[in-house]
Amino acid sequence: MGDIAFNLLIFFVILARAEDDSHLQWVPAEAAELQSAGHAQVSVLVDTDNKLYLNGQEVGISQLSGSIEEKLGDAPSGERVVLVKVHRDTTAVRFEPIIEAVSQAGGDLVHIVEEKRP
Amino acid sequence: MRKRKRTALLVEPPSSATGDIAFNLIVFFLVCASVQPDSGVKQSIPSSETVEKESEEAKNIEVSLTRNTVAINGIPVAQKDFVLQLQRKLEGKTNPEDRVVVVKSKPDTPYFHWIAVTSAIEQAGGVVTLQMEEERTIQVPN
Repeated sequence: MGDIAFNLLIFFVILARAEDDSHLQWVPAEAAELQSAGHAQVSVLVDTDNKLYLNGQEVGISQLSGSIEEKLGDAPSGERVVLVKVHRDTTAVRFEPIIEAVSQAGGDLVHIVEEKRP
Repeated sequence: MRKRKRTALLVEPPSSATGDIAFNLIVFFLVCASVQPDSGVKQSIPSSETVEKESEEAKNIEVSLTRNTVAINGIPVAQKDFVLQLQRKLEGKTNPEDRVVVVKSKPDTPYFHWIAVTSAIEQAGGVVTLQMEEERTIQVPN
């Protein structure tokens, strides 16, 4: 019985990992006065190779706004949190259209950064 | 005289329970991993508009960013003095529309510089608005 439960759990963990971005490589920037991001169902990430991912899946910038809108659905304000994880050296030409796309999709933008140490 | 009963101190758990122990351990680590909170900087950026509002833009504070510099209304400012100078410029402005700070970035501005400046704008009480350059195709008549 225990073995079946164990295997089922492993199966669901692997399935969940496909929607996760923890395997992607990026270095966060630093900022002061951080707040807790809370629960978010959408995460946008730019990795060290300048590739764009939505919930761990690679996407193009042209699809981003529509895909975020689809994932957020009719969620009320306050539950439309979109985590934005941008590699610290990414340039404006790459990250500004992403911020614009999140804003267009009606997402509540939260930049994931590290606490700045004095 | 009563004989003392010998009790074995080390008793191995039954091997049939190994699966259950592993299951509980995995659940424990999964719960630990899932409650790790993400912390960050919340930012509310107004939705983009393509309509040009020259008169409104003129009175808003403009922050220009390059790869390693920052300027307020075209005047370069040291990053350590940025918050103070912006706070002075925003003094007496109570309406949110008056506290709008237009951020213009050069294409090579790195994210770490941008996030430091935009967080400082919010710290000073400003409302961040992005101004992005639009690509336009102009046909030159022959």
